[in-house]
Amino acid sequence: MEIRLSSVLLAATLLSGCGWFHRGEKAPAQIVAEEPQGEPSIIEPQVNRRAVKTPKIKAKDFELGGYFGALSIQDFGTNPVYGVRAAYHVSEDIFLEGFLGRSRAGKSSLEDVFPNITVVSDTGRRFTYYDLDVGYNVLPGEIFLGRGRAFNSALYVTVGMGDVKFADKDQFALNFGMGERLLITDWLAMHLDVRDHVFETALTGRTKNVHNIEATLGLTVFY
Amino acid sequence: MRRLLALLLLQAFGVGLVHAKEQLIEVVVAEPYLEMHSGPGRGFPVVYVVGRDEIVTVLYSRTDWFKVRAPRGQEGWARRSDLALTKLTSGEPAPIPPYPDFATHRWELGAGYGVFNHQNLVTAWGDFGLTDSLDVEFVLQQALGTIDNRYIASVGMRHTFIPEWRWFSPTAGIGTGYQYIDDKVPPKPLQTSNQLAYVSLGARGFITRRFMWRADWRKYVVFTNQNQNEEPEEWKFGLAVFF
Repeated sequence: MEIRLSSVLLAATLLSGCGWFHRGEKAPAQIVAEEPQGEPSIIEPQVNRRAVKTPKIKAKDFELGGYFGALSIQDFGTNPVYGVRAAYHVSEDIFLEGFLGRSRAGKSSLEDVFPNITVVSDTGRRFTYYDLDVGYNVLPGEIFLGRGRAFNSALYVTVGMGDVKFADKDQFALNFGMGERLLITDWLAMHLDVRDHVFETALTGRTKNVHNIEATLGLTVFY
Repeated sequence: MRRLLALLLLQAFGVGLVHAKEQLIEVVVAEPYLEMHSGPGRGFPVVYVVGRDEIVTVLYSRTDWFKVRAPRGQEGWARRSDLALTKLTSGEPAPIPPYPDFATHRWELGAGYGVFNHQNLVTAWGDFGLTDSLDVEFVLQQALGTIDNRYIASVGMRHTFIPEWRWFSPTAGIGTGYQYIDDKVPPKPLQTSNQLAYVSLGARGFITRRFMWRADWRKYVVFTNQNQNEEPEEWKFGLAVFF
């Protein structure tokens, strides 16, 4: 009995030993032979991977529009002014803005008193300017119209520089402004602005800084 | 006729109605609630609150605010940081577009003030990054002086030494361009347009979100047909937006 047991154990050990020695050796022929040739071992999915495309969120940070108003050209009276404006809103507080405007000067008091004197030629009366500004929304809030309507609004200040072409000459001009933006809808805004264009000129005899203040009403679209 | 005109106007201004078909993102509120403000700013009051697991539609964004529509049609503005905590219906985080990275940004648009040869200078530029540290700059400038006005258009290459430095990173560049002189006071200049070349040293820095500053010093050589070339200097400072 003992002998039989030990011989069984021996056989088992030998067999396991055989297994051990065969480890790592390849016996591919046998394995391949077990499987039918040409058929894939794994089921390949027939479903095409769906390209999931999430739509992009549109950013509406640009503002574009026009304005109309009155420009007081120092020594040359107050005259209509019109122009276009474009802005990019960097954050809820800061925006960058550009203006392109045009007006036409009237007669100076000197020309009124002495009709024979011409201070500025006829073509030189055209007052054209461009401005590059940075703006800051100081007082954002709401404006109430009656009991049931509220409009978003913001009071902002702008500062910048640009060029004023007046009397056939281009001058460097600084400008300071303040305005109120009233959003009629989320994409349409009304602007009330007061801006001062300051530049140096010697048109009326001595060199001095002239202030040209304009008050305008504008309409812009956000996109 | 009037109706047609009104329709045309609507089309021209791209009113929301016209774009009704475009696909919008829907997100599920994952936090206890999502606040909707009456306007895109911290000063505007909260007018509606959407509860957890409710779906809101994101219409568009303005700066850091997103216009959203609640399930029952109410519209309002949600803060970027609040909307970032919502999820898509598939469970993924909401696809709030990230801010462009300052160190690796591609496009830049800016404007600023400077002094060119003792004249006031208005400058505007566009920049395209070829690599993080090398970009092509296109600059349009107007120098306004008492004797003349100059218009300068230039194109150049600029190297940013350490682009990953956010607050102050030095730059250097070279380039070429043209200047046009518009004289104010006689006599007329011998040449009204010249080719020029420049070397520049400068710096740039991050301000906030997609906003940055840039300062530059340039030394020009203006090629003239006289015995000597002109060598004006320029410095400028400006603000830019990057994309």
